[in-house]
Amino acid sequence: MTERKGKKKRFQAQNQKSAYLFIMPSMIILSIFVFIPLIASFVISMTDMNIFMKDVQFVGLKNFTRLFTDGRVGNATFNSLYFTLLEVPLQIGLALFLTVCLAKNNRYSKLLRSVYYLPFVCSMTAIGIVWSMLLDPNMGLVAYWLKQTGIETIAFLKDPELAMPTVIVVTAWKGFGYTLTLLAAAVLNISQSLYEAAEMDGAGSFHKFIHITIPGIWPTISFCIVTSTISAMQMFDQAYVMTQGGPLNKTETVVQYIYDRGFQTAPYDLGYASAISVYLFVIVAVMTFVLRKFILSRGEDADE
Amino acid sequence: MKKKFMSILLGAAMCMSLLAGCGNGAQENQTAASDSSAPAQDTQQAASDGMEDVADTQQAASGEKITLQFWNVFTGSDGDILRGIVDNYNKTNTDNIEIQMDIMPNDQLQQKLPASIATGTAPDFVLFGVENLAPYVSNDSLEDISDFWDVTGVDKSNFLENVLELSHVDGKLYGTPMQYNVSYLYWNKDLFEAAGLDPEKAPATLDELAEYAEKLTDPTKNQYGLAMPSNVTYMQFLWANGGDADDPATNTNLLDSEENIKTLTWLQDLMVNKKVSPENITGPEADTMLQAGQIAMYMSGPWQINGLREQGINFGIAPCPAGSAGAFSPAGGCSYVIPKGTEESHKLAAYKFMQYWLTDAVLKEWSQKNGFPVWSKSLMEDPEIQGDEVLNSISKATEIGRSYNLGYSLASQIDNDVMIPMFEKVMTGAATPEDALQEASDAMDKVLAQ
Repeated sequence: MTERKGKKKRFQAQNQKSAYLFIMPSMIILSIFVFIPLIASFVISMTDMNIFMKDVQFVGLKNFTRLFTDGRVGNATFNSLYFTLLEVPLQIGLALFLTVCLAKNNRYSKLLRSVYYLPFVCSMTAIGIVWSMLLDPNMGLVAYWLKQTGIETIAFLKDPELAMPTVIVVTAWKGFGYTLTLLAAAVLNISQSLYEAAEMDGAGSFHKFIHITIPGIWPTISFCIVTSTISAMQMFDQAYVMTQGGPLNKTETVVQYIYDRGFQTAPYDLGYASAISVYLFVIVAVMTFVLRKFILSRGEDADE
Repeated sequence: MKKKFMSILLGAAMCMSLLAGCGNGAQENQTAASDSSAPAQDTQQAASDGMEDVADTQQAASGEKITLQFWNVFTGSDGDILRGIVDNYNKTNTDNIEIQMDIMPNDQLQQKLPASIATGTAPDFVLFGVENLAPYVSNDSLEDISDFWDVTGVDKSNFLENVLELSHVDGKLYGTPMQYNVSYLYWNKDLFEAAGLDPEKAPATLDELAEYAEKLTDPTKNQYGLAMPSNVTYMQFLWANGGDADDPATNTNLLDSEENIKTLTWLQDLMVNKKVSPENITGPEADTMLQAGQIAMYMSGPWQINGLREQGINFGIAPCPAGSAGAFSPAGGCSYVIPKGTEESHKLAAYKFMQYWLTDAVLKEWSQKNGFPVWSKSLMEDPEIQGDEVLNSISKATEIGRSYNLGYSLASQIDNDVMIPMFEKVMTGAATPEDALQEASDAMDKVLAQ
């Protein structure tokens, strides 16, 4: 926000031209891989195109009316929301808690922050495979440990009720290191003098956290909330690898259903799959808009 | 505010990019790429057409080299054997044909092939499961190769009629059979003996199957009587009691029947009350457990044999058990197909390889090394084949093969949207057999109405 005020200098026409030149490479890439496919999927969603791309016909909103009577779309939407509503708070809460513990620049904290960051660097597919092997009720290590301690084997990923929570925990485990790094950087930027002043006023560590740390890093927290909500709504790979959407479709998310209709179940109905992705696009756009409106504006208020 | 709007738009675009990446993006790029490169391709096409003419004329004289692109889905250990046969063909054939083989998982092949056919970049021939034929044929994406027998002079009558039938759609031949299989009942003889059962006698009826499975299940030892993966269909059980799913010829829904209720009730009792199978396992997990000796019985195709031999499991192979209406087993197989648009000279070269595959020497090697049933009549007379213990027990188990929705373009939708969810609900106890069947029958009506 301070940036906006500071940069009132007018650009020369010359500068502007070279500015366009600089953004050209990324604009070309964005256009090819984002904007064109985005528009194309809107167009395809109104056709009956399948993967063979023969005899494509315009069908208007037929795919969309079909979408609202399809129980699996409702089920997938529920699962995506369920995942998002639990995963985002869990991941950010965990990161926030650890930030408070590790926001010091000593060797120990730095080491731990790097260690927590490690899962984020790994591919979700690899992590998914490793976790499903660990959690396997018949051959997994966790089942073996549970047995040793005399607890009955729990079929984490095979139980209709436990599968989604398990996927949520694994995803949060993978992602919290990234959030932690961002939050820790923000915390370290808060001026020490604020804490000293608060201490003089007799504030305890809880009050310092609520009244100085949280407002100080609020823009970063809200950034994390928005980005992780968007990626949670698009959750695909972890469920695809660990549960394939099962048991009983309890972990089938919207993106997975799109993939299923477009590429897994003949007649590979790309038109319908595109219609579902447009539907998801609208949901995500609305959620992003609402989140930004309520969370970011609060951040701006806190800033001023 | 403007900035905010832009950032929302960018955020939205960002979130779509992932979608685009795994959804339409790939396919869109394909069209984009094909559009932009269309002129280039045309000229190339013209050039290669010209070359081809030259090649054709030269072929008689000097035997110009033909390189064939060949895609298949043999990612398992059988893929190595297939590669060996193809390498051998490359070395020994006298027509100067070279086959370049590309193995990929079936999921991936089914995504790539239609788009490549549409853009004229398809391989010269492909090997995949016959259950995939129908959607390609109904979209006019495969060459009709009904002239194969006449062109190559291969004797059609030497092969089992029901195997050839699998590669036909609407009376036309679209593929030449490569292998044929049905589901068998595998049983672990050592576990049978330990449970006090006769290790040489497999269950012959569904009641025996249930009885044995219960005896062989011992949760304390992590041992299960009968593995039942949750992402497949169990047509053999429905058929055994006289039920069925649908009639592809007349588009009729046959789910709602007393026989099916009876079968599903039996199945639910087996899974939910007797707990003879690990809960919600996948096929590959069941394979691993069978090879680890944790599973006493398992119904699966011939591809288990190699793994079981390697792990030194003392196993037997029996036909699927019979119910009140007899014993049946879902049949399947793989066929060589030629994508639409393959050049004539390449098509003929592919015919030559298919002809090579259909010789007894190659079929024999394939059956002996992989344990796939023999379907060539002259090969059945071979003394080595007749003396092969595994192949003998297989040929008995193969007799009860029955085709399920093969050549039907709605087959994959019926499986994914009707049958698999129904079996899953029954087997996990999420619904009563009556409710699950009713729901499946409604879903079937919806699919068939398309």
